[in-house]
This record gives sequence, structure tokens and C-alpha cells, in this order.
Amino acid sequence: MKLRNFNLKDKDITPEELFNDRRKFLKLGAAAVVANSSIVELLAKDKYPTSNLQYKKDLNPLDLELNTFDQITSYNNFYEFTTSKEKVKKLAHTLKPNPWSITIDGLVEKPFQVDVSDLIKQFSLEERIYRFRCVEGWSMVVPWVGFELANLIKLARPLGNAKYVRFETLHDDEQFPDQKRGIFGAIPYPYVEGLRMDEAMNPLTLMSVGLYGKTLENQNGAPIRLVIPWKYGFKSIKSIAKISFVEEEPLNTWQRANKKEYGFYANVNPEVDHPRWSQAKERVLGKFFKKKTKLFNGYEKEVGHMYTNLDLKKYI
Amino acid sequence: MIIRILLFLTLLSPALFLAFNIIIVEVLEPVKYIYTFTGACSIILLFSTTLLSLIKNKINLLKYRRMIGLYTFFYAFIHFLNFFVFDAQFDLNFVVKESLDKPFIYLGMISLFILGFMAVTSFKSLYKKYYIYHRFIYLVMILVTIHFVNAQKALSIEQWVYLLIFIFIMAFKMNQQKSLLIKR
Repeated sequence: MKLRNFNLKDKDITPEELFNDRRKFLKLGAAAVVANSSIVELLAKDKYPTSNLQYKKDLNPLDLELNTFDQITSYNNFYEFTTSKEKVKKLAHTLKPNPWSITIDGLVEKPFQVDVSDLIKQFSLEERIYRFRCVEGWSMVVPWVGFELANLIKLARPLGNAKYVRFETLHDDEQFPDQKRGIFGAIPYPYVEGLRMDEAMNPLTLMSVGLYGKTLENQNGAPIRLVIPWKYGFKSIKSIAKISFVEEEPLNTWQRANKKEYGFYANVNPEVDHPRWSQAKERVLGKFFKKKTKLFNGYEKEVGHMYTNLDLKKYI
Repeated sequence: MIIRILLFLTLLSPALFLAFNIIIVEVLEPVKYIYTFTGACSIILLFSTTLLSLIKNKINLLKYRRMIGLYTFFYAFIHFLNFFVFDAQFDLNFVVKESLDKPFIYLGMISLFILGFMAVTSFKSLYKKYYIYHRFIYLVMILVTIHFVNAQKALSIEQWVYLLIFIFIMAFKMNQQKSLLIKR
């Protein structure tokens, strides 16, 4: 059971590196003073992971207040396990993200397979602190680690007639229990998402392999997932097994499940309600009261130009 | 009397559990949690009250029906307060707009209104006059079933179970009504 700490704010927490350094230092002397209760207390509070990725830090110029590692890894929509956001963490151990290869096919010069560990070696990783807004009305701020999807697209060398990128989550009912339920599954599998080529090439679009400096937890979509910060969370497909370059707009899973309520674009937009609930506000995880949602989740400057000719009320 | 007190405390305990979870234990999305929790309590109690009248010929527990019914309203009312206070943050415009606009919200509001009416008219003197309208509870069952199904992105297993119970109670009730008519 986690007890609420009334006095501690995120900004009061020691920065992770300092914290880790101090821990290393303390560990040196820990044998000698193992009974020292302050150390025991310190270790108990150790809710942040040890970094295992090399990456360039995001300096957080917008000064976004990060959600904790615990929050980000304990509240997840991952229907391949369960529809319950709180239960995913416990169930996610059946996913085996290592080794993991991605198939890249469709309209490319030459289809190929690539291992995620090779991608991590090949591209320099960087941290991106992004807002993340779920279509259900909750949100969080996550320090992702990854590389721009554009880098991978350049590597894949798509043909001129490739207009869209289609993504697929792994389909393996040994690893994903809900896929075993057939027609009783929560949604059709495998999970499919798609982006227009310009969206896919946008510098904000990230292929994430980690968060808080550590490789992704299973429940967050290990070992590699998409992060598109200006779109509702369901666009940011998890545990990607296949990327295809196609000419036609892909039919993404939620659009397939309910066309009236979910579209292909799914741009965050406070002006356009979901048919069943308002999108004007959002609740940041860990906060009791809501705040106003911003158009394109606050990334209008970076992405607004792609949609100047699009009727945002029609193309939801 | 002892049974009555025990029942009172048992039915109150979910509310205490909820308060404990919200105030002491860290819940990531408290408002959503209050919705789910109070909604589930209210629906389960709603099923229980209707079940009591269905089984009255076998075991007569009707004397406890009022308390369970009042608790049904109690949890539904917390559910509503959660909407009004924490979700809408006292924004009356928002409440009215959403209530008229979003089907699952107006269905919930109608149900709350009926439950409130039943709670008020559950006192002996008023009940004599209004008991006939208490049959609206079956309407409430239909409305809240649509309400909770419509509020979801996809149904969970628990919710499928609620649906099954709902169908079971409705079938049983219709069967009972039919046999009553035949007897007459």
C-alpha cells in the first residue's frame, strides 16, 4: 500500500543524478552503518529507476512538472492485458521485450527486420519531456527517451508513393492475455495505428525506448513505442512489431471499433468534444482538480501548420 | 434490531473504505475512482433491493428493503456530488450543458431524480400514497445500465457480469408479473 505523502512536491525531490550519486556514495559506507535508519528510509523512498540508457537530457525549457515514475508506470491503458488501468502493471510480466525485432515493409526500397537493440545503438537517444493527453480526459507529463521517427523513416527509405505509415503492435496471445480471448477480447487485435507521412516526419514524433532514463517498463509499451504528443494517447501505439509504408490511410483500431467516436487524426482539441464526454479539460495524474486542455495539447506552434486545410471538427 | 444495526454498518463500510482510500492512500485518479466505486456500490444495492422483492415468497426480507434502497440513493448521490464538486468544480453551466448534451449523463440524472423521489417518499405516511410509483425502480435499472455501458470505452469483465445480472433480474421479474396475471 502506498501512503500519500502530504508534504512532498515533485519539485522537492532531489534531481535523479544527484540522488543516484548520493546513493552510490552512501552504498559505499552502507556496510558499516547498515543499521542506520536514515539509509533504510532512503532506500525505501527509492522510487526512481537506475538509468540504463545513454541519452541527451531535455532541459525542460517549458518547465513542465513531471509526473513521478510510479504514476507513469502504474496507470496505463494497455488492452492487450486488461481494460483496467491499475491492473496492467501486475499483468505485464508476460511480455518478453528482449530480444525484439521490428519488421519494416510495404512501400520501401527493400523490406527488412531490425532489432531494437541495434536501433538504440544506431541512433543517438535524447530525452523528450512531453505532455501526454488521453482521450478519456486524464493526462501526465513524461520524460521519454527515444529517437525521432524521422530517423527510422530515412533508414527505411520509403518509395515516392508511400503516403502513410502504418504501425502494428505484436500479436502473440502467449504474451498478451486479452488476445487469447478471441471475439471476447476488448478490441480487435493486433492493435493498429497510422500517421500521415508529414506527421510521421515531424520532429516531435518520437520512437520511445525508455522513460526516466531507463528502458521502458512492459506496461508502458516495451521495448519500443510511438509517442505523438499532440494527439490523444491511443495514437501512441505500444510494443511495435511492424511498421509498413502504405499509400492508403490505414484504418486504426479505435476508428475500426467505433468510427463515430474515434477518427484517424485524433488531434487533441478542447473545442471538439468526444460524443460522450467533454474534452475541454483534463486531469493531470496525481492532481485533484482539472486544468484546461490546449489545442494540439499545447504544440500548436510545432504542428498546427500541418492541419491548416483540415476541418478539425470533421476529421476527428 | 441487531441485524438492522449490522446491516446499517455493512452498507456504510464501503463509504468509509472509499474515504480512507481517497484521503490516506494514494489513488492516481481519485475522481475516476470515486465514480467507479460509488457507481458500482449503487448498482449492486439497486440489484439487491429488486432481488429482495423477487424472492419475497421464499424468504421475506422486505423489512430491510428500505434501508438498502436508501443506501442505493446515498451512493448515487455521492456519485452525483463527485460530478458536481470535483469534476465540474461547481461550474453550473457545465453541469447543465453536459446533462442536456451527453446521453449517459442525462440518463444518470433522471435515475438520480427517481431514486431521490423514492427516498423522500419512503417514509411510512408518504409511502402509502406513492408506493405505486416505486415501480419506477425498474426504469432506473434500465437507465443506469445504459448509463454505465455508455460511459465506457470498452466494457470490463465486471461490467459484463452486471449486464448478466440485469438481464437475469429483468427476465425473472417479467416472469413473475406474467404468473401474477395468470393467477388473477
